[in-house]
Amino acid sequence: MSDRDEIDIIAAEYVLGTLDSAERSAASARRLQDPALDRAIQHWDHRMLPLLKHVQAVSPSADLFAKIEARIDLRAQFAKPVKHETPAANVVAMRRQIVRWRAATIGATAIAAALAGFIILASPTPTPTLTLDSNRFFAVFQENDQLPEFLLSINLETRELTIRPVNAPNMPDRTYQLWIVAEELGQSPRSLGLLNTVSTPTQKRLSEFDSSVLRGATFGISVEPKGGSPTGKPTGPALHGKLYPASL
Amino acid sequence: MRAAPQIKSPETARNRRTVLKQILVRVAEGDRAAFAKLYQMTSMKLFGVVLRILRREDLAEEVLQEIYVSIWENAAKFDANRASPISWMATIARNRAIDTIRRRQPDIVEDDHLMNNVIDETAKPAQLLEMSDDLRRLEHCLDGLDEVRSEMVRLAYLEGYSRQELAARFDQPVGTIKTWLRRSLMQLRDCLGI
Repeated sequence: MSDRDEIDIIAAEYVLGTLDSAERSAASARRLQDPALDRAIQHWDHRMLPLLKHVQAVSPSADLFAKIEARIDLRAQFAKPVKHETPAANVVAMRRQIVRWRAATIGATAIAAALAGFIILASPTPTPTLTLDSNRFFAVFQENDQLPEFLLSINLETRELTIRPVNAPNMPDRTYQLWIVAEELGQSPRSLGLLNTVSTPTQKRLSEFDSSVLRGATFGISVEPKGGSPTGKPTGPALHGKLYPASL
Repeated sequence: MRAAPQIKSPETARNRRTVLKQILVRVAEGDRAAFAKLYQMTSMKLFGVVLRILRREDLAEEVLQEIYVSIWENAAKFDANRASPISWMATIARNRAIDTIRRRQPDIVEDDHLMNNVIDETAKPAQLLEMSDDLRRLEHCLDGLDEVRSEMVRLAYLEGYSRQELAARFDQPVGTIKTWLRRSLMQLRDCLGI
Protein backbone atom coordinates (compact mmCIF):
# COMPACT_ATOMS: atom_id res chain seq x y z
CA MET A 1 0.00 0.00 0.00
CA SER A 2 1.41 3.39 -0.98
CA ASP A 3 1.68 6.28 1.46
CA ARG A 4 -1.10 7.99 -0.37
CA ASP A 5 -3.42 5.02 0.04
CA GLU A 6 -2.48 4.76 3.70
CA ILE A 7 -3.29 8.41 4.26
CA ASP A 8 -6.53 8.09 2.36
CA ILE A 9 -7.62 5.08 4.43
CA ILE A 10 -6.93 6.94 7.67
CA ALA A 11 -8.80 9.98 6.36
CA ALA A 12 -11.75 7.87 5.23
CA GLU A 13 -12.06 6.06 8.54
CA TYR A 14 -11.56 9.30 10.45
CA VAL A 15 -14.50 10.83 8.64
CA LEU A 16 -16.59 7.68 8.87
CA GLY A 17 -15.90 7.72 12.60
CA THR A 18 -14.67 4.14 12.93
CA LEU A 19 -11.14 4.82 14.14
CA ASP A 20 -10.84 3.83 17.78
CA SER A 21 -10.15 6.49 20.39
CA ALA A 22 -6.34 6.28 20.21
CA GLU A 23 -6.25 6.14 16.40
CA ARG A 24 -8.64 9.08 16.23
CA SER A 25 -6.54 11.22 18.56
CA ALA A 26 -3.45 10.34 16.55
CA ALA A 27 -5.17 11.32 13.30
CA SER A 28 -6.46 14.59 14.81
CA ALA A 29 -2.94 15.48 15.90
CA ARG A 30 -1.35 14.39 12.64
CA ARG A 31 -3.67 16.40 10.41
CA LEU A 32 -2.34 19.58 12.01
CA GLN A 33 1.17 18.69 10.84
CA ASP A 34 0.40 16.80 7.67
CA PRO A 35 -1.31 18.82 4.91
CA ALA A 36 -1.82 15.70 2.79
CA LEU A 37 -3.87 14.05 5.55
CA ASP A 38 -5.76 17.26 6.23
CA ARG A 39 -6.66 17.56 2.55
CA ALA A 40 -7.70 13.92 2.40
CA ILE A 41 -9.96 14.37 5.43
CA GLN A 42 -11.57 17.41 3.84
CA HIS A 43 -12.19 15.40 0.67
CA TRP A 44 -13.87 12.65 2.63
CA ASP A 45 -15.97 15.15 4.58
CA HIS A 46 -17.10 16.55 1.27
CA ARG A 47 -17.92 13.09 -0.07
CA MET A 48 -19.89 11.91 2.96
CA LEU A 49 -21.67 15.06 4.16
CA PRO A 50 -24.66 14.66 1.83
CA LEU A 51 -25.71 11.67 3.97
CA LEU A 52 -26.57 14.07 6.80
CA LYS A 53 -29.65 15.01 4.79
CA HIS A 54 -31.13 11.81 6.17
CA VAL A 55 -30.95 13.22 9.69
CA GLN A 56 -34.10 14.79 11.04
CA ALA A 57 -33.75 18.11 12.81
CA VAL A 58 -34.59 18.00 16.51
CA SER A 59 -35.17 20.93 18.85
CA PRO A 60 -32.78 21.10 21.78
CA SER A 61 -34.05 22.43 25.13
CA ALA A 62 -35.27 26.01 25.02
CA ASP A 63 -32.68 27.24 27.52
CA LEU A 64 -29.67 25.83 25.70
CA PHE A 65 -28.73 29.01 23.87
CA ALA A 66 -28.61 30.93 27.15
CA LYS A 67 -26.18 28.31 28.46
CA ILE A 68 -24.02 28.68 25.37
CA GLU A 69 -23.92 32.45 25.76
CA ALA A 70 -23.00 32.10 29.42
CA ARG A 71 -20.16 29.76 28.47
CA ILE A 72 -18.91 32.24 25.91
CA ASP A 73 -19.04 35.06 28.48
CA LEU A 74 -17.13 32.98 30.95
CA ARG A 75 -14.47 31.97 28.45
CA ALA A 76 -14.08 35.56 27.31
CA GLN A 77 -13.43 36.65 30.89
CA PHE A 78 -10.98 33.87 31.51
CA ALA A 79 -9.24 33.83 28.16
CA LYS A 80 -7.56 37.20 28.58
CA PRO A 81 -5.22 36.58 31.50
CA VAL A 82 -4.43 33.07 30.30
CA LYS A 83 -3.18 34.26 26.94
CA HIS A 84 -0.40 36.26 28.49
CA GLU A 85 0.96 33.48 30.60
CA THR A 86 2.75 30.36 29.56
CA PRO A 87 1.30 27.09 30.84
CA ALA A 88 4.38 26.65 32.99
CA ALA A 89 3.82 30.04 34.58
CA ASN A 90 0.24 29.09 35.32
CA VAL A 91 1.29 25.91 37.01
CA VAL A 92 3.86 27.76 39.06
CA ALA A 93 1.31 30.39 40.03
CA MET A 94 -1.18 27.72 40.93
CA ARG A 95 1.39 25.83 42.94
CA ARG A 96 2.27 28.98 44.81
CA GLN A 97 -1.36 29.55 45.68
CA ILE A 98 -1.78 25.96 46.71
CA VAL A 99 1.20 26.22 48.99
CA ARG A 100 -0.29 29.32 50.56
CA TRP A 101 -3.59 27.58 51.07
CA ARG A 102 -1.85 24.52 52.38
CA ALA A 103 -0.21 26.61 55.05
CA ALA A 104 -3.36 28.46 55.83
CA THR A 105 -5.88 25.70 56.08
CA ILE A 106 -5.46 22.01 56.39
CA GLY A 107 -2.63 19.53 56.75
CA ALA A 108 -0.12 19.56 53.98
CA THR A 109 -0.11 15.82 53.70
CA ALA A 110 -3.72 15.57 52.70
CA ILE A 111 -3.32 18.29 50.12
CA ALA A 112 -0.28 16.62 48.66
CA ALA A 113 -2.21 13.40 48.40
CA ALA A 114 -5.12 15.13 46.69
CA LEU A 115 -2.87 16.92 44.29
CA ALA A 116 -1.06 13.78 43.28
CA GLY A 117 -3.98 12.94 41.08
CA PHE A 118 -3.98 16.04 38.93
CA ILE A 119 -0.74 17.95 39.16
CA ILE A 120 2.80 16.73 39.14
CA LEU A 121 4.52 18.56 41.90
CA ALA A 122 8.03 18.92 40.63
CA SER A 123 9.40 19.02 44.13
CA PRO A 124 12.91 17.59 44.51
CA THR A 125 12.06 16.29 47.97
CA PRO A 126 8.80 14.41 48.14
CA THR A 127 6.59 15.02 51.16
CA PRO A 128 8.25 12.83 53.75
CA THR A 129 5.29 11.66 55.80
CA LEU A 130 1.90 10.86 54.45
CA THR A 131 -0.56 10.26 57.23
CA LEU A 132 -3.67 8.82 55.71
CA ASP A 133 -6.92 10.25 56.82
CA SER A 134 -9.68 7.92 55.72
CA ASN A 135 -12.40 10.48 56.35
CA ARG A 136 -10.82 13.14 54.22
CA PHE A 137 -12.00 13.42 50.61
CA PHE A 138 -11.19 15.80 47.82
CA ALA A 139 -12.67 17.01 44.59
CA VAL A 140 -10.81 18.96 41.97
CA PHE A 141 -12.69 21.27 39.64
CA GLN A 142 -10.95 21.99 36.42
CA GLU A 143 -12.00 21.87 32.82
CA ASN A 144 -9.22 21.30 30.33
CA ASP A 145 -6.70 24.08 30.74
CA GLN A 146 -9.35 26.69 31.24
CA LEU A 147 -9.85 28.65 34.39
CA PRO A 148 -11.34 28.56 36.93
CA GLU A 149 -10.02 25.86 39.18
CA PHE A 150 -11.21 24.94 42.62
CA LEU A 151 -10.24 22.42 45.24
CA LEU A 152 -12.86 21.03 47.54
CA SER A 153 -12.02 19.17 50.71
CA ILE A 154 -14.49 17.44 52.95
CA ASN A 155 -14.29 15.46 56.13
CA LEU A 156 -17.05 12.89 55.90
CA GLU A 157 -17.05 12.29 59.63
CA THR A 158 -17.65 15.90 60.64
CA ARG A 159 -19.20 16.78 57.25
CA GLU A 160 -17.15 19.94 57.16
CA LEU A 161 -16.42 21.19 53.71
CA THR A 162 -13.79 23.64 52.59
CA ILE A 163 -13.71 24.98 49.10
CA ARG A 164 -10.88 27.02 47.80
CA PRO A 165 -10.64 28.75 44.45
CA VAL A 166 -7.12 27.97 43.30
CA ASN A 167 -7.08 29.96 40.15
CA ALA A 168 -10.49 31.54 39.79
CA PRO A 169 -10.82 35.17 38.84
CA ASN A 170 -13.02 37.47 40.85
CA MET A 171 -15.79 38.73 38.60
CA PRO A 172 -17.35 42.06 39.56
CA ASP A 173 -20.96 41.27 38.70
CA ARG A 174 -20.93 37.50 39.05
CA THR A 175 -20.60 35.02 41.83
CA TYR A 176 -19.68 31.36 42.11
CA GLN A 177 -22.32 29.07 43.55
CA LEU A 178 -21.77 25.58 44.94
CA TRP A 179 -24.19 22.74 44.20
CA ILE A 180 -24.65 19.15 45.15
CA VAL A 181 -26.28 16.49 42.99
CA ALA A 182 -27.03 13.00 44.27
CA GLU A 183 -29.45 10.27 43.39
CA GLU A 184 -30.76 10.31 46.95
CA LEU A 185 -31.55 14.01 46.57
CA GLY A 186 -33.65 13.47 43.48
CA GLN A 187 -31.01 14.27 40.81
CA SER A 188 -31.87 17.95 40.78
CA PRO A 189 -28.95 20.15 41.84
CA ARG A 190 -29.33 21.56 45.33
CA SER A 191 -27.60 24.78 46.27
CA LEU A 192 -24.93 24.69 48.96
CA GLY A 193 -24.60 28.44 48.90
CA LEU A 194 -22.34 31.02 47.35
CA LEU A 195 -18.58 31.32 47.40
CA ASN A 196 -18.37 34.88 48.59
CA THR A 197 -14.76 35.50 47.87
CA VAL A 198 -12.13 33.91 45.71
CA SER A 199 -9.26 34.96 47.94
CA THR A 200 -10.08 32.87 51.00
CA PRO A 201 -11.51 29.40 51.41
CA THR A 202 -15.22 29.07 52.06
CA GLN A 203 -16.19 26.65 54.81
CA LYS A 204 -19.52 24.96 55.26
CA ARG A 205 -20.94 22.30 57.50
CA LEU A 206 -23.25 19.97 55.61
CA SER A 207 -24.94 18.38 58.60
CA GLU A 208 -28.22 17.95 56.72
CA PHE A 209 -26.66 15.34 54.43
CA ASP A 210 -25.70 11.76 55.24
CA SER A 211 -22.04 10.94 54.83
CA SER A 212 -22.95 8.20 52.37
CA VAL A 213 -24.88 10.68 50.24
CA LEU A 214 -21.96 13.09 50.27
CA ARG A 215 -19.53 10.33 49.36
CA GLY A 216 -21.39 9.44 46.16
CA ALA A 217 -22.49 12.96 45.24
CA THR A 218 -21.31 15.13 42.40
CA PHE A 219 -20.41 18.67 43.34
CA GLY A 220 -20.80 21.53 40.95
CA ILE A 221 -19.70 25.14 40.83
CA SER A 222 -21.57 27.48 38.53
CA VAL A 223 -21.20 31.10 37.60
CA GLU A 224 -24.28 33.04 38.64
CA PRO A 225 -25.47 36.63 38.81
CA LYS A 226 -24.61 38.53 41.96
CA GLY A 227 -26.69 37.13 44.81
CA GLY A 228 -26.90 33.65 43.35
CA SER A 229 -29.00 31.81 40.82
CA PRO A 230 -32.35 33.54 40.37
CA THR A 231 -34.09 30.25 39.55
CA GLY A 232 -32.77 27.99 42.28
CA LYS A 233 -31.04 25.90 39.60
CA PRO A 234 -27.61 26.48 38.07
CA THR A 235 -28.01 28.93 35.20
CA GLY A 236 -24.45 29.71 34.20
CA PRO A 237 -21.54 27.59 33.04
CA ALA A 238 -20.56 24.96 35.56
CA LEU A 239 -17.68 22.76 36.61
CA HIS A 240 -18.24 19.38 38.22
CA GLY A 241 -16.24 17.14 40.49
CA LYS A 242 -16.62 13.93 42.41
CA LEU A 243 -14.92 13.04 45.66
CA TYR A 244 -11.70 11.10 45.83
CA PRO A 245 -10.21 9.77 49.03
CA ALA A 246 -7.23 11.70 50.28
CA SER A 247 -5.53 8.39 51.02
CA LEU A 248 -4.59 7.72 47.42
CA MET B 1 -38.53 17.54 21.76
CA ARG B 2 -39.98 17.25 18.30
CA ALA B 3 -38.85 16.47 14.80
CA ALA B 4 -39.36 19.41 12.55
CA PRO B 5 -40.59 19.40 8.99
CA GLN B 6 -38.01 20.94 6.75
CA ILE B 7 -38.56 20.32 3.09
CA LYS B 8 -36.99 23.22 1.27
CA SER B 9 -37.00 24.16 -2.37
CA PRO B 10 -33.58 24.55 -4.06
CA GLU B 11 -34.26 28.27 -4.30
CA THR B 12 -34.77 28.52 -0.54
CA ALA B 13 -31.63 26.48 0.06
CA ARG B 14 -29.56 28.88 -2.06
CA ASN B 15 -30.96 31.90 -0.27
CA ARG B 16 -30.32 30.24 3.02
CA ARG B 17 -26.71 29.59 2.15
CA THR B 18 -26.20 33.24 1.19
CA VAL B 19 -27.85 34.42 4.38
CA LEU B 20 -25.78 32.03 6.52
CA LYS B 21 -22.57 33.24 4.89
CA GLN B 22 -23.42 36.84 5.74
CA ILE B 23 -24.34 35.87 9.26
CA LEU B 24 -21.09 33.97 9.76
CA VAL B 25 -19.10 37.02 8.69
CA ARG B 26 -20.88 39.02 11.39
CA VAL B 27 -20.37 36.27 13.95
CA ALA B 28 -16.66 36.36 13.16
CA GLU B 29 -16.74 40.07 14.07
CA GLY B 30 -18.21 39.22 17.45
CA ASP B 31 -21.82 40.10 16.67
CA ARG B 32 -23.95 38.40 19.31
CA ALA B 33 -27.26 39.08 17.58
CA ALA B 34 -25.93 37.40 14.44
CA PHE B 35 -24.82 34.46 16.57
CA ALA B 36 -28.33 34.13 18.01
CA LYS B 37 -29.72 34.12 14.49
CA LEU B 38 -27.17 31.51 13.42
CA TYR B 39 -28.18 29.34 16.35
CA GLN B 40 -31.84 29.74 15.54
CA MET B 41 -31.27 28.73 11.91
CA THR B 42 -28.98 25.77 12.48
CA SER B 43 -29.28 24.33 15.98
CA MET B 44 -32.12 21.93 15.26
CA LYS B 45 -30.20 20.37 12.40
CA LEU B 46 -26.94 20.12 14.32
CA PHE B 47 -28.75 18.76 17.37
CA GLY B 48 -30.33 16.08 15.17
CA VAL B 49 -26.88 15.08 13.88
CA VAL B 50 -25.31 14.99 17.33
CA LEU B 51 -28.22 13.27 19.08
CA ARG B 52 -28.32 10.50 16.51
CA ILE B 53 -24.65 9.73 17.15
CA LEU B 54 -24.63 10.19 20.92
CA ARG B 55 -28.04 8.60 21.53
CA ARG B 56 -28.51 10.46 24.80
CA GLU B 57 -30.24 13.79 25.05
CA ASP B 58 -28.31 15.16 28.04
CA LEU B 59 -24.97 14.30 26.49
CA ALA B 60 -26.03 15.65 23.10
CA GLU B 61 -27.01 18.97 24.67
CA GLU B 62 -23.71 19.19 26.47
CA VAL B 63 -21.83 18.55 23.23
CA LEU B 64 -24.05 20.98 21.32
CA GLN B 65 -23.00 23.71 23.74
CA GLU B 66 -19.34 22.94 23.05
CA ILE B 67 -20.03 22.98 19.33
CA TYR B 68 -21.57 26.45 19.33
CA VAL B 69 -18.82 27.82 21.55
CA SER B 70 -16.38 26.43 19.00
CA ILE B 71 -18.34 27.94 16.10
CA TRP B 72 -18.35 31.31 17.89
CA GLU B 73 -14.64 31.20 18.51
CA ASN B 74 -13.69 29.87 15.07
CA ALA B 75 -16.11 31.72 12.81
CA ALA B 76 -13.24 33.76 11.40
CA LYS B 77 -11.69 30.55 10.06
CA PHE B 78 -14.73 29.74 7.96
CA ASP B 79 -13.70 29.77 4.31
CA ALA B 80 -16.62 30.13 1.92
CA ASN B 81 -14.46 28.83 -0.93
CA ARG B 82 -13.99 25.51 0.76
CA ALA B 83 -17.39 24.66 2.19
CA SER B 84 -20.90 25.95 2.60
CA PRO B 85 -21.68 27.37 6.04
CA ILE B 86 -23.88 24.47 7.05
CA SER B 87 -21.32 21.92 5.82
CA TRP B 88 -18.63 23.63 7.85
CA MET B 89 -20.82 23.65 10.95
CA ALA B 90 -22.07 20.11 10.45
CA THR B 91 -18.47 18.90 10.16
CA ILE B 92 -17.58 20.58 13.44
CA ALA B 93 -20.65 19.04 15.05
CA ARG B 94 -20.07 15.54 13.75
CA ASN B 95 -16.39 15.58 14.66
CA ARG B 96 -17.19 16.65 18.19
CA ALA B 97 -19.91 14.03 18.56
CA ILE B 98 -17.67 11.24 17.25
CA ASP B 99 -14.77 12.38 19.47
CA THR B 100 -17.11 12.20 22.44
CA ILE B 101 -18.62 8.82 21.70
CA ARG B 102 -15.25 7.21 20.96
CA ARG B 103 -13.89 8.48 24.27
CA ARG B 104 -16.96 7.44 26.23
CA GLN B 105 -18.03 4.30 24.41
CA PRO B 106 -18.40 2.09 27.49
CA ASP B 107 -20.68 4.61 29.21
CA ILE B 108 -23.12 5.10 26.42
CA VAL B 109 -26.34 3.27 26.93
CA GLU B 110 -28.63 3.36 23.99
CA ASP B 111 -32.04 4.64 24.86
CA ASP B 112 -34.23 2.89 22.33
CA HIS B 113 -37.34 4.67 23.42
CA LEU B 114 -35.72 8.02 22.90
CA MET B 115 -34.39 7.05 19.52
CA ASN B 116 -37.77 5.77 18.39
CA ASN B 117 -39.24 9.13 19.17
CA VAL B 118 -36.58 11.09 17.44
CA ILE B 119 -35.65 9.17 14.33
CA ASP B 120 -38.20 8.51 11.68
CA GLU B 121 -36.39 6.11 9.39
CA THR B 122 -39.02 6.36 6.71
CA ALA B 123 -38.91 10.13 6.57
CA LYS B 124 -37.86 11.75 3.35
CA PRO B 125 -34.37 13.17 3.39
CA ALA B 126 -34.49 16.58 4.94
CA GLN B 127 -33.41 19.15 2.41
CA LEU B 128 -31.51 21.35 4.77
CA LEU B 129 -28.05 20.62 3.42
CA GLU B 130 -28.07 22.12 -0.01
CA MET B 131 -26.56 19.21 -1.90
CA SER B 132 -29.28 17.11 -3.44
CA ASP B 133 -27.25 16.18 -6.53
CA ASP B 134 -24.40 15.19 -4.29
CA LEU B 135 -26.69 13.03 -2.19
CA ARG B 136 -28.12 11.34 -5.28
CA ARG B 137 -24.62 10.53 -6.49
CA LEU B 138 -23.53 9.26 -3.07
CA GLU B 139 -26.65 7.12 -2.76
CA HIS B 140 -26.00 5.69 -6.21
CA CYS B 141 -22.47 4.71 -5.19
CA LEU B 142 -23.62 3.30 -1.83
CA ASP B 143 -26.17 1.21 -3.69
CA GLY B 144 -23.29 -0.15 -5.74
CA LEU B 145 -21.78 -1.69 -2.61
CA ASP B 146 -22.82 -5.04 -1.26
CA GLU B 147 -25.98 -4.43 0.81
CA VAL B 148 -24.38 -5.30 4.13
CA ARG B 149 -21.41 -3.02 3.45
CA SER B 150 -23.59 -0.13 2.41
CA GLU B 151 -25.52 -0.55 5.67
CA MET B 152 -22.24 -0.60 7.63
CA VAL B 153 -21.11 2.67 6.11
CA ARG B 154 -24.45 4.31 6.91
CA LEU B 155 -24.50 3.03 10.48
CA ALA B 156 -20.97 4.25 11.08
CA TYR B 157 -21.47 7.67 9.54
CA LEU B 158 -24.97 8.47 10.74
CA GLU B 159 -25.28 6.53 13.99
CA GLY B 160 -21.68 6.60 15.16
CA TYR B 161 -21.25 2.80 15.20
CA SER B 162 -17.77 1.67 16.20
CA ARG B 163 -16.01 -1.29 14.58
CA GLN B 164 -16.97 -3.36 17.63
CA GLU B 165 -20.61 -2.42 17.36
CA LEU B 166 -20.60 -3.25 13.66
CA ALA B 167 -18.88 -6.57 14.43
CA ALA B 168 -21.63 -7.41 16.92
CA ARG B 169 -24.40 -6.26 14.64
CA PHE B 170 -23.18 -8.23 11.63
CA ASP B 171 -21.77 -11.14 13.61
CA GLN B 172 -18.26 -10.83 12.17
CA PRO B 173 -14.82 -10.53 13.73
CA VAL B 174 -13.60 -6.94 14.15
CA GLY B 175 -10.75 -7.63 11.71
CA THR B 176 -13.21 -8.58 9.01
CA ILE B 177 -15.25 -5.44 9.65
CA LYS B 178 -12.10 -3.36 9.31
CA THR B 179 -11.27 -4.95 5.97
CA TRP B 180 -14.83 -4.57 4.70
CA LEU B 181 -14.97 -0.94 5.70
CA ARG B 182 -11.71 -0.11 3.98
CA ARG B 183 -12.68 -1.89 0.77
CA SER B 184 -16.09 -0.23 0.82
CA LEU B 185 -14.57 3.21 1.30
CA MET B 186 -12.10 2.75 -1.54
CA GLN B 187 -14.88 1.48 -3.78
CA LEU B 188 -16.95 4.51 -2.83
CA ARG B 189 -14.12 6.86 -3.62
CA ASP B 190 -13.60 5.32 -7.05
CA CYS B 191 -17.32 5.41 -7.79
CA LEU B 192 -17.69 9.04 -6.74
CA GLY B 193 -14.63 10.10 -8.72
CA ILE B 194 -14.21 13.20 -6.54
